[in-house]
Amino acid sequence: MDRREFLVGAGVVTAAAFTASSCARSGPTGDHVIRYWGMGASDTDKDEAVREAFLATEEGQGMQIVIDQVPSSGVADMSQIITAVRGGTAPDLWWMDRFNAVQNASIGLLEPIDPLIEEYEDVSPEEFKRQWIQFAIDELTYDGQTYGLPTSTDARGLLYNENVLLESGIDLDMFDPEQHVITWDELREVARRITQVDSRGNYERFGFAPWIDEGWAYTWGFGLNAQVYDNATATITLDSPEWVSVFELFADWAEEFPYASVDAFYATYQPPNSPPSQSALFSGRLGMTTSGPWAIQGNEKYAPDLPLSFTWLPVTHADEPSRTWSGGQSLVIPKGANVTKNLWEYLKFHAGYPGQSIIQPLLGNLPTNLRAIEEDAFNPKAELFRQMLPNSTSRPPLPVGSAAWDALARTRGSVALGSMSPTEAAQSNQALIAPKMELFAGYTMPETYGTPSEVPGAQ
Amino acid sequence: MSATGLSSTSAPSIAEPPSTATEPASGRRRRRGMTATNKRNLRTGLLFISPWIVGVLVFILYPVTYSIVLSFTRYSGMDAPTWVGVQNYITAFTDPLVAKATSNTIFFALIAVPLGLLVALTLAIAMNQNVREVALYRTIFYAPSLIPAFAMSFIFIVFLNPQFGLFNQVLNLFGGPNINLLGDPTGVKIAIILMAQFGAGNAALIFLAGLRNIPKTIYEAARVDGAGPGRQFVAITFPLLTPVLLFNLITGVSGALQVFTEAYIVTNGTGDPDAGALFYMMYLYKTAFGFAELGYASALAVLLFLAGLALALMIFWLSRRFVNYDVEAA
Repeated sequence: MDRREFLVGAGVVTAAAFTASSCARSGPTGDHVIRYWGMGASDTDKDEAVREAFLATEEGQGMQIVIDQVPSSGVADMSQIITAVRGGTAPDLWWMDRFNAVQNASIGLLEPIDPLIEEYEDVSPEEFKRQWIQFAIDELTYDGQTYGLPTSTDARGLLYNENVLLESGIDLDMFDPEQHVITWDELREVARRITQVDSRGNYERFGFAPWIDEGWAYTWGFGLNAQVYDNATATITLDSPEWVSVFELFADWAEEFPYASVDAFYATYQPPNSPPSQSALFSGRLGMTTSGPWAIQGNEKYAPDLPLSFTWLPVTHADEPSRTWSGGQSLVIPKGANVTKNLWEYLKFHAGYPGQSIIQPLLGNLPTNLRAIEEDAFNPKAELFRQMLPNSTSRPPLPVGSAAWDALARTRGSVALGSMSPTEAAQSNQALIAPKMELFAGYTMPETYGTPSEVPGAQ
Repeated sequence: MSATGLSSTSAPSIAEPPSTATEPASGRRRRRGMTATNKRNLRTGLLFISPWIVGVLVFILYPVTYSIVLSFTRYSGMDAPTWVGVQNYITAFTDPLVAKATSNTIFFALIAVPLGLLVALTLAIAMNQNVREVALYRTIFYAPSLIPAFAMSFIFIVFLNPQFGLFNQVLNLFGGPNINLLGDPTGVKIAIILMAQFGAGNAALIFLAGLRNIPKTIYEAARVDGAGPGRQFVAITFPLLTPVLLFNLITGVSGALQVFTEAYIVTNGTGDPDAGALFYMMYLYKTAFGFAELGYASALAVLLFLAGLALALMIFWLSRRFVNYDVEAA
């Protein structure tokens, strides 16, 4: 073989390799194929159950739904989806954290669904969307357009280990959601009684810290009437006195239960990236924490014999209602998707009553579809969370939602650690987020945001 | 006068091509004067290295240039970029998290780089000992460098566990208190600095090559003159290693400015507590892919590039005072 033949041969092999690799990437296509980036690998069975149910319907005849799990490296990491959309390989449907919807819509990543409702439904978009909880629809609304349908929701409550409380001499009636809503003062006293310290000063057993697990600034902020954004003046309000009081709560607890000691406790009994079975609550080391209905599934799986129960989030005064907030997921259509009536039918099925009533009882969370809630299509152990929903709301639907969340989470730690005062934390957050929001001058959240939502079956 | 006390000679470097009286003055004339075989060889050579040329153009030069352009825009990765002039740069200089991330990165570089050089040099000297099992020692010393950063991070999380980790177990043995390094803003930086030292094997190999390049005759002469090992190191080894030291210093500083993986894993991508491990690259990554502010992230990248360039130039300028290139002459 001379050099010329070698070079030609090498060129042909290279071209063939490129062709083969690009062929390998392209799967089935066409209007009867839906490419879906679904839930995580551990929940594939739920996605598959919905798919099978849809394929059995009249609309599902001849359809092919390809489910992919695309691992995300973080709630606020958009690299995969942006890359896919820009690379022309976007999925047709994407299971996405609802909290990121407005940010993603603001950068042009998502398709609005209102035109699809107008084209394929006999009712107006407003009437069509009334099938779902209002705050979940609000969270998907940007500039008057809706960017997906909400699939599931949750709420934050107090999760406690009855055994640990009983061993500490606590009257369990205080935690019975039917009888009592615990106050912050009562919670502090219970935490003191649970906590045990060894001779070296390490926590051997621990009561509660408001900055751990789901103890976000938002978790306590809604109860203290702290608002991120003022629609009337179109300004960020992260430096308001209410936000200062949220951070004062963290500082106050850290004074009695120092951040470093609490962190050492968690690093010991529940280190970062540990398997879900390695929980300080399961091992009887922890008395109480802040969590949500998604924990029910894990509790049943890893600690089926442990008496783990939920109650309301604490309140400042005994006579006030407990307030919380709800997250959850949604199904959205990324830009570049093959938008067809078939896709709309599947989206409607998956995020509507049929899909939610299949998924939610398995998942542990609550449905957002009002009929599914009314018909109790969820784990009965999540009933308390349904009762929380009227006094719950979503995180504020803002184009800077991720940045605001990030700032609040970071300063929560700084205040608990003592490196920032509550006032400094609030001012720092305002200084960081307000300039980002100035790029969206005059933006307003939906008028219904923050108002109680209608929830069937809730008291 | 060289640092070794030996004067340089006028012997030509072997890297210098021999000059010929018949060689044409300009490149164009030289090309025109090429034989058919030489031209064919040139074409073939270019063809063979064309993947590299294409790679540099497509994956380095184009992205770098495009990133500079994007740094003057507001760009989310989706819609067309919007020109905002120097706004991103103004924002960068007023962003409290940029200041925090920069100070964290400088803290890391100031400690990790000198410490890394010291560890690498120590390893290289150990690898260079004239003992029978030296190959085994070299393998042992180099092996930690093969552990991926993410795996090392997980090992460190366990190693530093405040109650059960080996680090605290040893401290307890000596009556020390339990320390939760990863729960402290400064401690987490120190932990990441310690982790970085496990990658010192690469720099050590380069130091080893430098050590083995020092002619043995110089040591023999020094021994004849009565110089002990310490004096030999100060007067011969260290001065003649300075070109290698310069290389390792430049690559070390460059790596320190880009510290990312260990901090990302150890802090679950947050950089907390109190943004203590929020390094510049982590904030840049978050800005780009967490908040979809690619224009602003590009400005941060350009600033990082300029800072790296300025540091490299400063080190080169300073290197004239401490780098000795007389080893060839010796």
